[in-house]
Amino acid sequence: MIEFQDVSFVHQNGVIALDRVSVKIEAGETVAIVGENGAGKTTLVKHVTGLLKPSTGSVLVDGIDTRASSTAALSRKVGVAFQNPDHQLFSESVEEEMAFALRNFGFTAELVENRVSWGLRLFGLEEYRKSSPLVLSGGEKKRLTLACIMAWDPDVVILDEPTVGQDAIQKEKLTGTIRMLGSTGKTVIVVSHDIEFLWPIQPRVVVMKEGRILGDGPASRLMQERELLSSARVAQPQLVAFYQALDPRPKDPFVDPLEARRWVAGRAEIT
Amino acid sequence: MMWLSGGFIFRRGTSVYHRLDPRVKLLISSLMFVTTLLVRSLYELAMVIAFMVAVAAVATVLRRVARTMALTFIFSTVIFVLNLIVTKNLETSALYAVRFVAIVVSTSLFFITTSPDELEQVMKTFRLPRDVVFAFVTAVRFIPVMMLDTLQIMDAQKSRGLELEKGNIIRRVRNMIPVLIPLVVNSVVRSGELAEAMESRAYGAVRRPTSLVEYKASWADKVVAFAAVAIFVLTAYSFYFVLPTTVL
Ligand SMILES: Nc1ncnc2c1ncn2[C@@H]1O[C@H](COP(=O)(O)OP(=O)(O)OP(=O)(O)O)[C@@H](O)[C@H]1O
Ligand SMILES: [Mg+2]
Repeated sequence: MIEFQDVSFVHQNGVIALDRVSVKIEAGETVAIVGENGAGKTTLVKHVTGLLKPSTGSVLVDGIDTRASSTAALSRKVGVAFQNPDHQLFSESVEEEMAFALRNFGFTAELVENRVSWGLRLFGLEEYRKSSPLVLSGGEKKRLTLACIMAWDPDVVILDEPTVGQDAIQKEKLTGTIRMLGSTGKTVIVVSHDIEFLWPIQPRVVVMKEGRILGDGPASRLMQERELLSSARVAQPQLVAFYQALDPRPKDPFVDPLEARRWVAGRAEIT
Repeated sequence: MMWLSGGFIFRRGTSVYHRLDPRVKLLISSLMFVTTLLVRSLYELAMVIAFMVAVAAVATVLRRVARTMALTFIFSTVIFVLNLIVTKNLETSALYAVRFVAIVVSTSLFFITTSPDELEQVMKTFRLPRDVVFAFVTAVRFIPVMMLDTLQIMDAQKSRGLELEKGNIIRRVRNMIPVLIPLVVNSVVRSGELAEAMESRAYGAVRRPTSLVEYKASWADKVVAFAAVAIFVLTAYSFYFVLPTTVL
């Protein structure tokens, strides 16, 4: 469980990046963090692995205060894939890149081999196993950073903008991966501006603006609050906009187009 | 690291000193630099440093100048010890050590109050080739960017279990590899991209491009420049002809 207790964070230059944030994320939850550029999403995420320590308040990961622990120790539990892949790729080959963290955490050679193969398969990177991570395309690099995190099987997986540069198929696969993680009991935190990507996952949504949490709740409810969304500069999923334009309409918004089509077809039969 | 580097990196400011013509700031720093070389005793040096501190106060950069001094402290200690061994003279050694601090402060005063744009202007007045000016100014401008990069890379690697502060010296140096490689690669890639972006915006298409801002020294700038020269001449005169001197 991750708990933020009244956390504020002020950057060296005086920018208040988090302003009295309190939020609790239970084990096994899938949470999306959305909000305008500079809202403090990345700052929030960096607090979970102890890369940043709160100026005031405290952050607890499984009951342990991040101030009392090191990032290296916390990362065994919490894996973060950061926004910019160019900030971490350095190895000679893709497989070495993936093995880096596993070796740091003291995995056996056999386990390293297993996990690396598994990760490469999951993210469709097998053909690049021996190539340099630096020659991959932007989207492939990004996927490699995700594979690197999943490889050591952390309890909490945090993805900062995972869809940047991904084509449609890769996005769909990523949706599948996140669902898979959720169903195996992992806690998943996704930071994203890509609302259409988040919607089918139906996560709990946390809306941020200027370092504060504006709204927190299930996607199906929060994505209907148009004023809240527009004040945080978050787009509304098209299916939700469509749903809200209907009258009469079903109790909950459509999760996918198929569902919408079935409902519309059902209506046509009645009238 | 961020803390120490603050001694040389420009940050935007609104003080009177910041708003001076960059050429005047260069003049003031150069004169202070030369004055530290003219100094022949510790108390004269103390006066020069007091003057620098006063300038720093006017420029509202006192704290950062203090950082610069802290940064140079190690070097000046080395200078002091070496001189003491060679000359066996306490005052001379102290003079050299403190002079080093003064020299660095005079230079840093110029750099922390002069933006890369102003630096460019200064270099142009010396009629340096445009490419040289551009390369130099770009390098200066990218220092803070690279420092930010370094921090973010360190964050990313730490969250993959890298422990930078652990182990003996060899282990620590090896631990820097995952930080240094992305840093260098990013810089190379960035310079390539910058070159392409510049060319696609017609860099070098005309021999003498026009400027958005033409710097012109105001009368206030001229007064300050004149005052600086006057103070310099007076100080130099008094060092040699008025104040008593301990011989070096
Ligand atoms: N190293 C830093 N020094 C100073 N201010 C910073 C630093 N990093 C971030 N900030 C500031 O903190 C605030 C929050 O930044 P943060 O990176 O958390 O935003 P974000 O929500 O992740 O934005 P984005 O959607 O663009 O990724 C911003 O105002 C930003 O300018
Ligand atoms: Mg961010």
